Amino acid sequence: MPKLKVPAPPIPEPLKPRPRRPGAPKQKPLDAAADAGAHVVDWVDERTSLSGGLRWMMFRKVPKGTNWFYTLGSATMFAFLSQAVTGVFLAMYYRPDAAGGAYESVRHINDDVFLGEFVHGMHKWGSSVMVILVFLHMARTFFFGAYKYPRELNWVIGVALLILTMAMSFTGYLLPFDQRSYWATIVGVNINGTGPLVGPYLSDFLRGGAEFGATTLSRFYAIHMMLIPGAIGALIGAHLYLVAKLGTTAPPWLKAETAEELREERA
Amino acid sequence: MNRQQKEQYLREYSTLKAQGKPFFPYAVAKDGAMACVVMLAIILMSIILGAELGPKADPTTTTYTPRPEWYFFFLFELLRVIKPPELVPLATIGVPTIAMILLFLLPFYDRGPERRPERRPVAMIAGIFTIAAMGYLTYLGASAGSPTTIEAPTPARIAALPADQRQMYEQGKQVVAQSGCLACHKIGENGNDGPGPHLTDIASRLPAQGIERTLINPTAPMPSFKKLQPEQPETFRAMVMFLGELKGDEEGGGSEGG
Amino acid sequence: MPKKQAKSNYTADRGIPGAFEGETVTRRRFMVGSAHATGAIATSAFLLPALGFALGPIFEEHEQRWQAVGGVDDFPNDSYVPKTITIADNIGQTGKSTVYIRKRNPQIDTEPLPKGFEDEQFVAISTRCMHLGCPVKFVSAAERFICPCHGGVYNFRGEVDGGPPVRPLDRFYTRVRNGQLEVGPRFSVNSELDRFSPRDPGEPLDGVGQYLYPSRPSIRKLDSPED
Repeated sequence: MPKLKVPAPPIPEPLKPRPRRPGAPKQKPLDAAADAGAHVVDWVDERTSLSGGLRWMMFRKVPKGTNWFYTLGSATMFAFLSQAVTGVFLAMYYRPDAAGGAYESVRHINDDVFLGEFVHGMHKWGSSVMVILVFLHMARTFFFGAYKYPRELNWVIGVALLILTMAMSFTGYLLPFDQRSYWATIVGVNINGTGPLVGPYLSDFLRGGAEFGATTLSRFYAIHMMLIPGAIGALIGAHLYLVAKLGTTAPPWLKAETAEELREERA
Repeated sequence: MNRQQKEQYLREYSTLKAQGKPFFPYAVAKDGAMACVVMLAIILMSIILGAELGPKADPTTTTYTPRPEWYFFFLFELLRVIKPPELVPLATIGVPTIAMILLFLLPFYDRGPERRPERRPVAMIAGIFTIAAMGYLTYLGASAGSPTTIEAPTPARIAALPADQRQMYEQGKQVVAQSGCLACHKIGENGNDGPGPHLTDIASRLPAQGIERTLINPTAPMPSFKKLQPEQPETFRAMVMFLGELKGDEEGGGSEGG
Repeated sequence: MPKKQAKSNYTADRGIPGAFEGETVTRRRFMVGSAHATGAIATSAFLLPALGFALGPIFEEHEQRWQAVGGVDDFPNDSYVPKTITIADNIGQTGKSTVYIRKRNPQIDTEPLPKGFEDEQFVAISTRCMHLGCPVKFVSAAERFICPCHGGVYNFRGEVDGGPPVRPLDRFYTRVRNGQLEVGPRFSVNSELDRFSPRDPGEPLDGVGQYLYPSRPSIRKLDSPED
């Protein structure tokens, strides 16, 4: 039986496998893949110069003695990321319709959607966890005196983030539209209304009218979904930039000891 | 902090930093472990506690008792404890705004160079006091019952009575709760502190006949239950019986107060 | 004191490098100004409409109308009957609210009726607590309105008996048409039961209260029951 000759496929010239250089070791597929990865990273870096910033961020030194208390900030950010992702997926099923669609859609998420109650639960309890972490992170900063020079501005940004987080939980809990949501919102809006002079107009603005109406829920939804998360994201960016620029604080009690050690060494 | 102190801090900090370890992978590994703990907590809570949906929003209700999410309990309790109507704007807008301003400006009025907690007594006391106050308010807010239910254990003395008497006591408890007495009176851990007197131990101060007389012929602004007596004598007697058993001895233990 | 010499309007006189004869603003300064101005115009072109769009409802008048709630004889003058009315359209059940209604009793309701409303025969009381808007309940045994949230208590006429509420319970205008009782828009009252345009809960109307918490363009007081 004559051997069948398969015609060579018409591969364009640059893609044809190059003959191995004499003497060069045979390249394994894994190495080739690693090489390709490095090439892609190089290509991007050549055009963006991002690696410098990344190195500045990731390989900066963290002072001696940092402990588990220093993970609270990143844990808060992580909780926010979890909230953002679960929130986006909840929004795929949610309908901000005060006539009954909102409650119905949340009931649908809970009862019918695959993993619905689980994701809804993650978002709901994630908010509690995030609030706790924000407070713990703030307590750590306060007790370690980490808000002092040169980190004053970072404290101010942090307080703004705390307020936004509370605003987030407040606007969030109207959305399921059960009894608790409704009355908490009524009370919350009226609390804003007790501000002298501007209060009545502020509560009109929040409600989108003189009474709780068709647009109130969509207002809260827009604020919860876009306005505040956008602001939180931007402020987290600024917060992180300042942390990286000014450095993580050292635990306050470490300062004196280390300095003494140094003096002894010098002597 | 003056310039010299600032420079000294920066110098010491740079020494400490130079002795430290790179952020990646040392700190990042810790952060990652913490992130795993956080996610574990969220997932466990989601699986165990679920995402319960309450009854549908109903603006026409007159029986629902609104309560906020737990992290607003301190604010809720603040609104409950500040009673005089003139001070309402203080509770709603005033105190939270002042607290926020104080928090924002913290680095600008606390400018001392000292960072060690044990050498900042004023800041530490203020901080711990704030946390304790918020914790206490949260606890009070969480344990605030509805003004139309009384949560208190039935005393052993009553439990020993025959069944019809016991039933009368329970009925009286319900009537007292739903008549709105708790709006002005306190019974054990339930109800408001004033303007009416505490009823926790009313029976030891006033005999049953006295209680009956007060219910029919009260001093203003307490409402009269005069109409109740001829119309629903059973209910009225149950009410008098329940109040007549409030001797304050059992509630004193306070172990199970709602 | 010597008067400060006024600066010349011309760039050449002020010795600015690269000045031209007769020029009052340098090119660079002009370009800085243009950059700011164009940026501000472009930004406000999307910001102002968006803001106006969001703030619009503050100035839009809330539609209010009269609703029949039952025959005139359905309501006693010594107790309240709860009735459900609609206060916001297009949202079904969510736009409703409960109103407690009774006949006016001259022995209890001693406050004078305002001009134009002398014929009013009914009292319709809102179920929103005037502390922060929780749903109050009328307890007939105690003849009190009780709020479940922060401990507000009102007497039979809706006046504050205790707790933090800042003014008596809001009321609704009523009128009788063809033997049917009709409930109209809401109004607020101060402790003398004088009528004011509807305010939100938590806003006192005694003393300077009515000026600190001004009436809003979105919701007004009625002038006569024919409105």
